[in-house]
Amino acid sequence: MIHRLLAVLSLAFFVGSAVSAEPFVQGGPIGSQTPDGYNALGPVVQQPIEFPHYRHARDMGINCMYCHTGARRGYVSVIPRIDKCIGCHQNIESVRNKPRIKKLFEYWDKKEPIPWKKVNDLPDYVRFNHERHIQRFYFRQNRPVREVCGYCHGDVANMTVDRRVKALSMGWCISCHQKDHKESDTNMKTSHGPGECWQCHK
Amino acid sequence: MSESGINRRDFLKVLGLGGSSLALTGCGNTDIRSGDELVMPNVHPEDFVVPGLSVFYASTCTQCGSACGVMGRVREGRVLKMEGNPESKISGGKICGLGQAAVQVQYNPDRLTQPMMKVGGSLQPVSWDKAMALLEEKTGPKSGINGEEFAFMTGAMSGHLKVLVENYLESLGSKNHYVYEALSPAVSFAAYKQVYGVDMPRLHFDKAKLIVSFGSDFLGTGASPVHFAAEYAKFRKAPRGTLIQIEPKMTMTGANADRWIPIIPGTEGVFALGVANQLLKHEEFAQSVPSDIVTLVAKYDPETVSSITGVRSELVGHVAALLWEKSPSLVISGASVEGHTHGVQNAVAIQLLNKILGNVGKTLDGQAQSPFPQIAPNAGSFAALKSVNDGMGSGKFKAVFIYGANPVFTAPSFMGLRDNLRKVPFKVAFVNAVDETAEECDLVLPIYTAVEDFGSHVAWYQPEGVEITMQQPLMEKLYSDTRSMGDIMLELVKQRRADEYKAWPDFLSYLKTAVVNIKSAVKYTDTDEHFWYDTLSHGVIHVDAPQQQIGSNFSSAMLNLPATADPQDPKFPFYLVPSERHYFRDGRHANCGWLQESPDPLTTIVWDSWAEIHPKTAESMGIKEGDYLEVSSQNGTLKVKAYLFPGIHPDAISIPLGQGHESLGRFAKGVGVNPFKILNPVFEVNTGELAMYGTRVSVKKTGESEIVVKDEGPVSTQMGRKLVVTLPADVAQLSKEI
Repeated sequence: MIHRLLAVLSLAFFVGSAVSAEPFVQGGPIGSQTPDGYNALGPVVQQPIEFPHYRHARDMGINCMYCHTGARRGYVSVIPRIDKCIGCHQNIESVRNKPRIKKLFEYWDKKEPIPWKKVNDLPDYVRFNHERHIQRFYFRQNRPVREVCGYCHGDVANMTVDRRVKALSMGWCISCHQKDHKESDTNMKTSHGPGECWQCHK
Repeated sequence: MSESGINRRDFLKVLGLGGSSLALTGCGNTDIRSGDELVMPNVHPEDFVVPGLSVFYASTCTQCGSACGVMGRVREGRVLKMEGNPESKISGGKICGLGQAAVQVQYNPDRLTQPMMKVGGSLQPVSWDKAMALLEEKTGPKSGINGEEFAFMTGAMSGHLKVLVENYLESLGSKNHYVYEALSPAVSFAAYKQVYGVDMPRLHFDKAKLIVSFGSDFLGTGASPVHFAAEYAKFRKAPRGTLIQIEPKMTMTGANADRWIPIIPGTEGVFALGVANQLLKHEEFAQSVPSDIVTLVAKYDPETVSSITGVRSELVGHVAALLWEKSPSLVISGASVEGHTHGVQNAVAIQLLNKILGNVGKTLDGQAQSPFPQIAPNAGSFAALKSVNDGMGSGKFKAVFIYGANPVFTAPSFMGLRDNLRKVPFKVAFVNAVDETAEECDLVLPIYTAVEDFGSHVAWYQPEGVEITMQQPLMEKLYSDTRSMGDIMLELVKQRRADEYKAWPDFLSYLKTAVVNIKSAVKYTDTDEHFWYDTLSHGVIHVDAPQQQIGSNFSSAMLNLPATADPQDPKFPFYLVPSERHYFRDGRHANCGWLQESPDPLTTIVWDSWAEIHPKTAESMGIKEGDYLEVSSQNGTLKVKAYLFPGIHPDAISIPLGQGHESLGRFAKGVGVNPFKILNPVFEVNTGELAMYGTRVSVKKTGESEIVVKDEGPVSTQMGRKLVVTLPADVAQLSKEI
């Protein structure tokens, strides 16, 4: 009898997890669970304009950092300034009257900032520095940009608006820092990331 | 083990499975949010704006008169932090807490955001058009006002805004520029002028082996605390200099002294002459002063001096011995010396010691002579307040402008200034927050704070050469309906001098033209545009200028000190010491929460006023900490909590200045008491300045008591144990050590 109970519960678990997980709007793998058991998947976030990352980053092949300019030089990767969008779209007649682009130009004409909702929102007591990570993985190690950004943010290039797909918790960050990999010909172990609390909790 | 169903092992297995599935789909990390907060992009910013990265702009701190060069850290168009500008010789790249609080002045929740006009007895918001129309109606060319009927009261000013104010007065044909500082340096300047021929000499702490300071709180208040703190650090480096402080109530500088000597207020000059008496016994000093002074000084033997000053006679010889032994030395004085009827004579007697010791030209010499007298600073005085008060009282003035001063708060009540101000038909205040004076005005105009405005400043104390510190906006104006004081003044000057000023649409262009004229004086060879931007980016212009020669002119006529201390009035037996706190000064920044929260360095009290009283005196009167006392002069009473403090003369009681506001904002209003109000009409005889330390008071217990909010905890932290053994000063034989 107990075995039947176990079987039912196991089934319920697998079925349950499938049922309780929200379906993706666009494709992309669900990120890993953290060792400390935190849920990696963020909610679907409604944005003022349903910006299609897949059209820009995948189809047009635009580098993430063309718009998210702060990633290589500061703490925040920066939500692009509206004139970044306008810079191209003022010259693209073919899509000028599409509904989302018309909405964009409404904001631009009123010189009003688009009130995006923050998707990857760390608590105020954490200070994450994009620059160090981008400088290491993109500029020094020359990895492809979708791999570098995607490690933490998932396959955004296949999404419309962004959705958090990794836990972004401290345990999750540490799990990457604790990986050993080759630093140089003589050094096969890394320093396992910042050893001091204040490096992130400033 | 139960037959029918689940045994413990299986039960735990089920629980475990259920538990882990819950963890995998359920609780989540709620600190990591998604879709809660907004992230607003810029629309069309400047190219260099990177969200998250700070840029630094150089400017001038205007929180006190030191004109320290500072930098503001600006992120996303908001100034967030002030730091020192390393290029400034005055600040040396450092900044004090008062300067840091400039950020709070900017984000002051009680900022005035719109012009206000008095309608039916209360201030109502109006548009700038209406405000400027009223200004034009009352003081413009068609108003018929003549120069005699107009008065402009300002605080101490320097730089190009000062020039504009003076030009405006000139355009009106008015000579009535009243420069008022509640804590005025006028007595100090008069004394220095008398003996050295300059208002303020340059002091070289780093060259001195011994500093004897008669009440000069150079680390806290005074001419340039940031600069002097750095000089003091040099002074204390090996071989370590010695500091002796002689004052009625311990200041922050006094707390740093190696030897602190309490003295009856007003008798410091006598003590100095006593020390001179001992010094002149040395052959090498006997010829240093004219014979009339030698004769005069001979009367001040240690016993006489002791009976007048209350200081033990052996200390007179001890201080003299230290001065003779540790050379070069430097003897300076401060507000507690100057604030008496014979303040100038006190200060002169103290400078006599420098003369005798040969310090003049060594540790004390001249500052650089400014080649630009027009932008040189003016100095405030009480005499100016008295003049304008008399004028207002007699009905002489039809219009009064007030900028950079809050006389309704700082004027003693015997002056009746508020009533006199009410007699003036048209009063205008230029402020960034409504203070007591603005409350009385008919028109209150909201001006930019220092971090929003352009300007130029020249400090009174210049450590090297002449430094013109530039002020530039660290951010765009926070409130759309405020205006720059410079722009307002320019518009007013143009009312009568439109042609002369037509080349300049705003204060910025005026300032730029004027500053660019300095280019040749600093031998800058590039274009005007580059000079302007270089100047703004460096924040300071250093002008080499020849050093002022200081004379040395002492005569016995200047040393006419009273033979005895002020007689004890049995009705008002205590000496009131209205102390100046570094962060409060004359009280203008009392609405900064950071400053209220910063504990007083001596008492650690926050968000309040207090009356410092010597523990022995308190014991004899049955006063304990927190007892509400009534401190009364002939001109008013203050109700204030007692704080027992050994660093005060037993016959003195000290209440700090700067609190007791009735306006100015939520963090200032109703906090503490205002000792300015109860000062008696006692005046320094040479200058007519208010003798702020010359008021005598009575002290009475009210019977009420309340906890004193302070950081230090119980004063007697040893609680009867002998963790740190202390000895009373007269037992400890301090003279064997210092």
